[in-house]
Amino acid sequence: MPILKPSHPEVAPVVPSGQLRRLSVDEIKPSTNNPRLLFDPPQLLELKKNIAEHGVLVPITVYQPKGQAKFSILDGERRYRCVVDLTNEKHVGKDGKPIKIPANIVEPPTMIAGLLYMFSIHNYRAEWELMPTALSLKIVMENLEVTDNAALNKLTGLSERQIERCKSLLEFPEKFQRLSLDPDPKTRIPSNFWIEALPVLNLAVERIENVKKLGRDSATDKLVEKYRDHKIKSVIHFRRIMESYDLSEDDAPLRAKVVRRVEQFFLNPKLETREAFDEFVVDKKRVQSAVAACQTFLAELRKFKLRYTTDDTERKRLQEELIAVQKYCRTLEEALEGSDSPEASSE
Amino acid sequence: MWSLLHSLRAVQRFRDYQPQHVSMASVGRWIKQLKTKEDQKLAWMLLKRVIYLSERETKTILVHQNTALMENLRRAGLASNKLIYISTDDAASSSPMMLGMLRNAALLEQQGCKFLDGRDAMGINKVTAKVQEGAIIYIDDFVGSGNQFCRARAFLMQNVVGTFSEFLLVPSICEEGYARLNELGVTVHAGHIHAKAERPLHRHSHLMHSEGRERLIQICREIRPNASLGYEGLATMVVLYRNAPNSVPAILRGSDKQDPFYGLFPRFKDLPVKK
Repeated sequence: MPILKPSHPEVAPVVPSGQLRRLSVDEIKPSTNNPRLLFDPPQLLELKKNIAEHGVLVPITVYQPKGQAKFSILDGERRYRCVVDLTNEKHVGKDGKPIKIPANIVEPPTMIAGLLYMFSIHNYRAEWELMPTALSLKIVMENLEVTDNAALNKLTGLSERQIERCKSLLEFPEKFQRLSLDPDPKTRIPSNFWIEALPVLNLAVERIENVKKLGRDSATDKLVEKYRDHKIKSVIHFRRIMESYDLSEDDAPLRAKVVRRVEQFFLNPKLETREAFDEFVVDKKRVQSAVAACQTFLAELRKFKLRYTTDDTERKRLQEELIAVQKYCRTLEEALEGSDSPEASSE
Repeated sequence: MWSLLHSLRAVQRFRDYQPQHVSMASVGRWIKQLKTKEDQKLAWMLLKRVIYLSERETKTILVHQNTALMENLRRAGLASNKLIYISTDDAASSSPMMLGMLRNAALLEQQGCKFLDGRDAMGINKVTAKVQEGAIIYIDDFVGSGNQFCRARAFLMQNVVGTFSEFLLVPSICEEGYARLNELGVTVHAGHIHAKAERPLHRHSHLMHSEGRERLIQICREIRPNASLGYEGLATMVVLYRNAPNSVPAILRGSDKQDPFYGLFPRFKDLPVKK
């Protein structure tokens, strides 16, 4: 019974070997991902109770890598972990023996099928390091020749926004990507650094002659240096640069001043982000106005008592408008995600 | 007379210990720090229980274990170009040294095997994506609780793509680490599994009478109050020619910078800095 249905013609399906066996926990190799991080504890507890009462009803799917005595799990990590817990608690089945797990044995998956399965697991884990995910996504894109976000979303289950973030990481040369793969968290550059830095780099390299002369890699080096020297205290502070630039759109002298400041920011290692750009961002006032606008909008809508609208055309029109509002709010909400804590960003 | 015999035996057994030369003078200096005849007798008893792996023995174990593993993998359908050997620690530490030793002794490069540093995430991603199906073989000189190994493995496995069986080649491993790796599904090929019973200062060992053990533990506490029996209180007795594990009792390892207590098997990092 294949569990990985190929969603792309190039992805080979999982091939069953025709064996259904009852395996003890000792015969199974756990995944390197801890399901306690991947799944909600109440859900796991519920499943464990169920297995304690009835045993494992749905077979897990396993394969045996060449040369390895134990079976690796392709599907059913939660059921396996629950049985491990029960075995450790000396729980026995109805036959008085340790619980065994029914398992469909399949042939080892191809690299791409295995990768797609890993994606489906990692989607549950918000804190999964993004750079390894990006590198895996690159392999999927190259092997299946798929680059469209919607198609990649269908294949991997990653949201289009996650895919976009991964693609941003892949725009940086390998020597910079390596900095986010440093095993030491103290010296590792967080993946978010690149994502937040990318628009600033694009702006500087395209619009500022002296940064263009430096070259993209040297300009990137300057930003890394600044980050290590705590002159960029939080990766989220890059947004202040872009915000300053956007806000000066209709004011030519101000725009020229912002551009000059961006140039100084790249060329002067001592210049700190907020120190350089706070003066251009009248943050509080705009945010306060936006908060007030949200509150007024909600109050007005409530006042109209729209819940009982009966006219079909009106209802449809209103629904369309609400969807548009919802879409904008979702995009804005996603854009606002991220931490402003310097400690959090440097971890 | 007894002291002389013990010293001669120690010099003979531990002659290639690299961090600090074991000589008649160093053994004498070590034993004389213990003031009573009873304490000295206990120390000699402990020293007798050291399981020492010389360079030659280490190399022989690694090569033999590797030959057997490669043969098993070949039978399972994995040619040598499908084998990726990975060191799990910093360049100057034991794991890369063992990998270098095995690589040369077993002519692994000529056979098409791949070699990687476990910290090189990008390299792991690229090589595993290229090989797609094979075996990952970790190399180290000693595994105690397995904590350090598990941390290194968790990091590098994030970047593995494809289907790989996992093995650890190691001259010696503690039974605690062996059990842990077995649970994780990493097959261990070791020359020696270091049982708790082989460690005189371990609470599960009966190699020494309880008064003697308590006395030695007390001495260890005075030398290193926070790590008297080594990392996680493992009290291991394996010493490798290249370095003693951080889990050996303090009486063997000595104080930090070897002051005030001079150890017979200090680790490189325990030695005083020469001016």
